[in-house]
Amino acid sequence: MIVKMSGVNIWTEKYRPTTFDEMVGQQEIIKRVKSLVQALNIPHLLFAGPAGTGKSTLALIIVKELFGEKWKENYLELNASDERGIDVVRQKVKDFARTKAIENIPFKVIFLDEADALTKEAQQALRRTMENYTSTCRFIMSCNYSSRIIDPIQSRCVVFRFKLLEKKDIKKRIDFIAQNEKLNIREEAFDTLYEVSEGDCRRAINLLQATAAISPDVTNDMITMVSSAAKPADVRVVLDYAIAGDFIGARDKLLDTMLKDSVSGTDIIKSIQKEIWNLQVEPHIKVKLTEKTGEAEFRMIEGSDEFVQLQALLASFVLAGRGED
Amino acid sequence: MSLSEKYRAKRYSEILHQDQAVADIQKFLREFPKKKALILYGPAGTGKTSLAHAAAKENDLEVLELNSSDLRNRLKLEETLRPATQQYSLFKKGKLLLMDEVDGVTGTDIGGIPELVKLIHSTAFPIIMTCNDVWQSKLSPVRAKSKLVEMKALDLGTIISLLLKISEQEGFNKSPQFLKQIAIKSQGDLRAAINDLESYGRLSGEDIDLNDKRVISQSIFNVLRRVFKERQPFLDLYDTTDESLDEILLWIEENIPKEYKNEALARAYYALGNADVFRGRIYKNQHWRFLVYQNAFQSAGISFAKDAPLDGFTKYERPKRILKIWLNNQKIAKKKTIAKKYARMVHCSTKRALRDFTVLTPILKQESVQQKLQLSDEEVAYISSLK
Repeated sequence: MIVKMSGVNIWTEKYRPTTFDEMVGQQEIIKRVKSLVQALNIPHLLFAGPAGTGKSTLALIIVKELFGEKWKENYLELNASDERGIDVVRQKVKDFARTKAIENIPFKVIFLDEADALTKEAQQALRRTMENYTSTCRFIMSCNYSSRIIDPIQSRCVVFRFKLLEKKDIKKRIDFIAQNEKLNIREEAFDTLYEVSEGDCRRAINLLQATAAISPDVTNDMITMVSSAAKPADVRVVLDYAIAGDFIGARDKLLDTMLKDSVSGTDIIKSIQKEIWNLQVEPHIKVKLTEKTGEAEFRMIEGSDEFVQLQALLASFVLAGRGED
Repeated sequence: MSLSEKYRAKRYSEILHQDQAVADIQKFLREFPKKKALILYGPAGTGKTSLAHAAAKENDLEVLELNSSDLRNRLKLEETLRPATQQYSLFKKGKLLLMDEVDGVTGTDIGGIPELVKLIHSTAFPIIMTCNDVWQSKLSPVRAKSKLVEMKALDLGTIISLLLKISEQEGFNKSPQFLKQIAIKSQGDLRAAINDLESYGRLSGEDIDLNDKRVISQSIFNVLRRVFKERQPFLDLYDTTDESLDEILLWIEENIPKEYKNEALARAYYALGNADVFRGRIYKNQHWRFLVYQNAFQSAGISFAKDAPLDGFTKYERPKRILKIWLNNQKIAKKKTIAKKYARMVHCSTKRALRDFTVLTPILKQESVQQKLQLSDEEVAYISSLK
């Protein structure tokens, strides 16, 4: 196979599939989408599924198949989690939809990535926008969970559920890259790569490239080293400080972690909730801590300053460390 | 002319005990336009305005003063400033824009802050601002564009010796003991001390009413001391201080672990959490009545978190979190712009790119990738500085 996308040495781009046949996994979805595209007409689409399973890639393939060389003029990509509010989204859609599509396709395509980052109110507004431009635009939306997309939008879309990529699918892609980049990946190194990337193909390829920057001979240890350096938010250390009774240490560590990796309070509390069960405290205290964590998560939504609620939660962990609840 | 005007420092040599600030301001003017604005901050009466004027004099600059309402009146601002900031060839003398007490910008004048930022961007002359509290959130856009110079409260000795000098020159004939009392009362505010001296100066006696405290509001430290040490239903404690409830919340947050341990610690943070929940409801629904709850939780709630009153002296600290966040934002500003460019290239969100930044670093270190992403020199430098 020939690598078509060249020039930029970012492997997630360089090796992004550009045809239906190149895609790994999601075969059922591809079959159905392919038939829609061949009819030169698509409805609104909703791609739901975990990160790194091919949602953006499939959207790009669709527009390339539809518009050929001229795909860039007929395609608008927006990321809902980055745009500052629905008004920005609407304005951009409006500007883009104003002109007609070219060639024999009567519509343009708007890809709205991470649509579940929009609030319910924003989605209602978006639904109006979809209706207004329905004659000139098709929306492809992606989300992690379709349950976070309001029903009126879901009902206007054909919903496709992307599954986590299987190990053999990721292996196929990684082997292809390894061959092109002349890498030597050990068997157990691939196992580790698959494990730490949790079925997320983008993450697997990024990790591979970061590791290959050290040496083309990719070993197990190197993958472990690179991925552990990149581990986000080490909540465990924060909790260990708190359990040991060092509140100030825990708090400082928490703030540093949040700032360093730009992690939000809600992300932190999710990690805390998972980490509770690995702590060295009595089981009934773990239950109590879970209750406190849930309470803190709820209060975070009501309150205005996430860090205040997180500190209140850390204080509960200090008590738990003393065997109290 | 009042004494405090008469004895206002006019040259660097007359500025007392602020050597660092003098050096900083001189460096700022020398290197202009490397940084275009400077903020002098510190307690009242430490010589901020005097220093700004002295700097103008030492550098032969003409001072152009602005106040906060000028900012709001866009038309007037443009009229007075645009010619002054841009066509400096018309004037023989250089100029220095002085904006006194920027933290006094309140209410509708706050709309002038973006104007001020624009002005800093476009000015052809150095801008000096003064304020007491530079860490207020409303000043953050200005802070980001300015060099910050702190002026410290003056020590007792400095104030006494100046009072002695003035008392002698004015023929007041006061004893050093009396002057010392005035100096103590001033709490580091030189202007206040000179004003007091003026009011007592021509009287014959040396009785000084120490209860007649200057109407300075209670310092935040006193308020904290009471709420942490005593155990009382302090519902109107915070009325006596200038700080806003939100500001006080940050101070309490910072200092709880210095006073409370274990159960008291947990109870205090829970109370603070309650205060924040009500604050969130105020923000979201504009339901200002809820302020009474926020106040109750962060006053009485904190006070009663302990089982008994506490003794001893505790050194409270200024809230560090806002400063830390600000510093961090400065630090990761480049990281953000890089992540944004990268995200656009690879069809993912900027947030995701930020989260994966460590793994992406070796990829971003490649020259070809940097060119493709059109990274600026500063962004390239940032990437190179990473491990």
